[in-house]
Amino acid sequence: MLTLAVLVPLAAALLLALAPLGAAAARWTATGSAVLSLLALVSVWAGGGEGFRAVTEVPWIPTLGIAWRVGVDGMSLALALMSALLFAASAAWPMQLEGARAYYAWMAFLTGVSIGLFVTLDLIVFYVFFDLSLVGMYFLIGRWGHGEAQHAALKFFVYTLAGSLLILIGIIVLALNMPELTFDMRAIIDSPPLAAAGALPGLVFLAFVIGFGIKTPVFPFHTWLPPAHVDAPGPASAILAGVLLKMGTYGLIRIPLQMMPETFARWALPLAILGVISILWGSIVAFAQENLKRRIAYTSVNHMGYTVLGIAVAGSALGSETARQLALTGAVVEMVAHGLITGALFLIAGAIWARAEDYHLPNFGGLAGTAPRLTGAATLAAFASLGLPGLAGFVAELHIFLGAFGVYPWLAAIGLLGILITAALFLRMLRQAFFGDLPYERRGFTDLTTAEAAILALLLALVVLIGIWPAWLLALIDAAAVIPAIGAGG
Amino acid sequence: MIWALAYLPVLAGLGIWAVGASRGRTALLGGLATVATLLLALIAGGRSGRFDWSDVLTLQAALPPLAQAVAVLVPAILLPITLFAASHEEARGLPRLVGLMLVFTGGMELVVIADDLVTLLIGWEIVGACSWVLIGHRWREQPPGLSANFAFVLTRAGDLGLFLAVLTTFTVTGGAEYDALGRLDDWPLALAAFGLLVAAVSKAGQVPFAPWLFRAMDGPTSVSALLHSATMVAAGVYILARLHPYISAAPGFGTAAMALGLATAVLGGVVAVRQVHAKKLLAGSTSAQMGLMIATVGAGYPGVAVLHLVVHAATKAALFCAAGTVHRVTGSFDLREARLGRALPVSAGLTAIAALSLAAVPPLSGGWSKEEMVKAAEHAGLFWTTAAILAGGLSAAYATRFAVTAFGPGDRDEASERRGESAALLCLSGAVLAMSVLWLPWAHDAVSAWIGAELPTGTRLGLIASLTAVALGVLAGLRAARAPSAPPGQEWLGLPALYEHGVIRPFHGLAGVAARLDDGVIDLIPRGVAALGRQASGQLARLDDDHIDGLAPGAARRASQGTSRVWRGAVGIAVQAASALAALAAGVGERLSDIIPGGSGRLAGMAGADLRRLQTGLSHHYYTLLMAGFALAVGLLIIGG
Repeated sequence: MLTLAVLVPLAAALLLALAPLGAAAARWTATGSAVLSLLALVSVWAGGGEGFRAVTEVPWIPTLGIAWRVGVDGMSLALALMSALLFAASAAWPMQLEGARAYYAWMAFLTGVSIGLFVTLDLIVFYVFFDLSLVGMYFLIGRWGHGEAQHAALKFFVYTLAGSLLILIGIIVLALNMPELTFDMRAIIDSPPLAAAGALPGLVFLAFVIGFGIKTPVFPFHTWLPPAHVDAPGPASAILAGVLLKMGTYGLIRIPLQMMPETFARWALPLAILGVISILWGSIVAFAQENLKRRIAYTSVNHMGYTVLGIAVAGSALGSETARQLALTGAVVEMVAHGLITGALFLIAGAIWARAEDYHLPNFGGLAGTAPRLTGAATLAAFASLGLPGLAGFVAELHIFLGAFGVYPWLAAIGLLGILITAALFLRMLRQAFFGDLPYERRGFTDLTTAEAAILALLLALVVLIGIWPAWLLALIDAAAVIPAIGAGG
Repeated sequence: MIWALAYLPVLAGLGIWAVGASRGRTALLGGLATVATLLLALIAGGRSGRFDWSDVLTLQAALPPLAQAVAVLVPAILLPITLFAASHEEARGLPRLVGLMLVFTGGMELVVIADDLVTLLIGWEIVGACSWVLIGHRWREQPPGLSANFAFVLTRAGDLGLFLAVLTTFTVTGGAEYDALGRLDDWPLALAAFGLLVAAVSKAGQVPFAPWLFRAMDGPTSVSALLHSATMVAAGVYILARLHPYISAAPGFGTAAMALGLATAVLGGVVAVRQVHAKKLLAGSTSAQMGLMIATVGAGYPGVAVLHLVVHAATKAALFCAAGTVHRVTGSFDLREARLGRALPVSAGLTAIAALSLAAVPPLSGGWSKEEMVKAAEHAGLFWTTAAILAGGLSAAYATRFAVTAFGPGDRDEASERRGESAALLCLSGAVLAMSVLWLPWAHDAVSAWIGAELPTGTRLGLIASLTAVALGVLAGLRAARAPSAPPGQEWLGLPALYEHGVIRPFHGLAGVAARLDDGVIDLIPRGVAALGRQASGQLARLDDDHIDGLAPGAARRASQGTSRVWRGAVGIAVQAASALAALAAGVGERLSDIIPGGSGRLAGMAGADLRRLQTGLSHHYYTLLMAGFALAVGLLIIGG
């Protein structure tokens, strides 16, 4: 089933690359493949189970312990489901494109590799998907972006590729230190190598943190993000923020946290501090941005900071077990929530670009009159992003802070300031774009079309659902099963 | 069922907004939803509810008598205000206004029924968000938007205190229910209690958070009437009263509450006495009155504070309706241009009742509850009593001045009454009058027994001093009303300017500097690494120039082969450079080096077609980095293997 979820979009990409389809047919092929993939994942979810489920294994290079291994636990299933949904939404998002067929081919390709990354249980396959996702995004930004799209795309590519190389080093060292060479994640999680203190585990950990930190991104490795977002087309931005950033934090949990828990615990505090710096820095810098997309982009740094704080707390081996579980639950919910919320925000930014070809906030104002639906969606998404209770972001942030306060109370208290600054910056954005006087040149600004409104409504309905009744998502994530038992050796 | 108290008005409000309707229909629908909420509040007493939010957190609701009194109060005040809004406010956006006031009420009811800190936090912030939408209701104008943002951010700053209380309570006890709060002691208790106090005073518009209440005056009058009586500011007082049994043991809590409350009561009084803007006068008064209530909680009489909250809600809502009428007739809130007594005698009479109640003149209800608060202060000591009496005198002065300047006999002798406005005023002032039965012993004994309020006993001397202060205040107010005063030069004693220069502008500056640093300095990391990588592998790059050149200009077919050769070359050189150690690990390294080109080769092949369409001038960066990284990889392999 999981293999199908990966192969269907990849097959669709192949079809789109070869068959001469029209723009509309291409759009529906890409969307359809994402929906099919989503359905496959839903069926796995419906099947229930504990730990890694729906596992399939096909040998590939047996001598090196590399195989096509797929399987999901609650965390990766939640992320894969969110990704598939966001891909369906982004592919269905109406666009005026040149070379639409190629665009949708890359979109479908990206769907396949992204879902593949979350469902694979083999480190080498993980690495391959990690890099392939860069390729897909590189072309989406570079070819269909605007402004200095090519430069932004290249910066994104080079920067995250440099990070991925560090990850590769780490993966190889991990595998070599297993009693028997294997890249099977389950095996490595079950008997984590490199448990001893020393320089090597620290270096490997550092390689992972920098590698995944670039992708996440955490301060100070985040500077590739704003240009990539600003110049990317709306749906590509939604994918970049909603799905690709999650690969960094997912990797951080799956590999360093689960596969080298002792080392992680030793370095948890610096990582948590990095998270808090990202929270504050991301929000402060976002506040100063006058470009709509740059502002949203920097809030991603802020939100990923919450996630990293949660992950660091989960792996700290300090405080109570409940606190660590809460922090990890919060971190995973933050990933899902941020995917939905920021995905929606970037689609909204795309809708604004399609109508005005401008992101400079002072050039806007008063859109609430001409575009009430757009205003409603943007307001809801902005409040969700600033963590208003009743919406998904709050669930995540509350859990993260509840957990973090039990382990690093001072860091949690400082991080709380982020909540205040995000409130200020989002309200400022709403006022600048939607309220006050309507500038003359925006007279013709039209509201969301039915298709756009329906897609946003779908994403935001989930945001509300998770906000009001998060129990089902928390049960799915099942953070208790993710956190490794630390203490035996350290 | 108890949850319906919160979600029924929310859903009804959203429905009214979505459907939209004429004035009459909006009033009717809004009224019906409000009445339904009121009935629910009446029958839900004593009930409780649980909702499993996650495996660790359960949302809990309960409605003890003290809470029920407030739960009934909120829709009871909303009802006349809905009537007022339907008659008074602009038709454009009216369904949104009425609908969102219902949502606001739902949020407030969630605060009221909350029986654990997480539920409280949810309701608390929803109330704040609703106030943002409502203050910014007239979004086409600039000031309401700015004020709404100011109000939300300032109150959210206070909310962080509530967050801290939740975090502390949960961390120490493993639960967030109110009872868990009672299990705290020592510093966690202090942290939770003071966190709650900060949250409460920010919502209740106390010093130093008071300026947001002034800015909130940019909202429609109906919103002010609701926000200053039964919701938002009331939430601050209510929650301190409700949680008093759990947190009063925290060291210094009572003193801090009294100090903040009475400081605001006196300062707010001074602010109100000097104001000529009708709504801002009332806003200063709201801060002052909430201050008295918070001080009463601090003195140990939460029940008394809630009783005054109820009386004050009807009083203040009535006065805001009166201020709205002034604005409709004169086109401004400037009290110096009002004096509508001849033109609107009925409104004048009804306003007088509410104003005298606010002035705490016996035998009106406000007089009774205020004297109870002064008695409570007497229990705390002479200093606090003096401050409370002074605050009482000030409220007599500004209330009198408001009534006389707004509705004293003046030159204007004709203006139209509006039935909705008058009816709302009649209901509210009638309620103020009716509650005056509280002066009678059987009435206040019955009420205080029902909500479980302990009534303080006072001295005769205290009563005389207090009533003298009221009398002097009334005289001063009458005198001040005669002479037209100039508006004060600084709003709220300069506090807003302090925020502007001390917080907002510096933060804008800081953010600007951070943004420049981000672009200029932090971005040097990747640029520096890239430059280093280029230099360090310059040798490598030159050796392999052939391969790279072969790649660049659109050789899709050769791409994968080319890359493989680059890889092998890089590996080879790196291995040579560390030949002695490499010998040990060469086998592994070679096997691995075969895998990676496989992957990247496929990648390059797929990318080839599109690569040609892109400018490739910078791609050598990528390749040099790739090689530098791989050299590093091999190095580590050697150590690791």
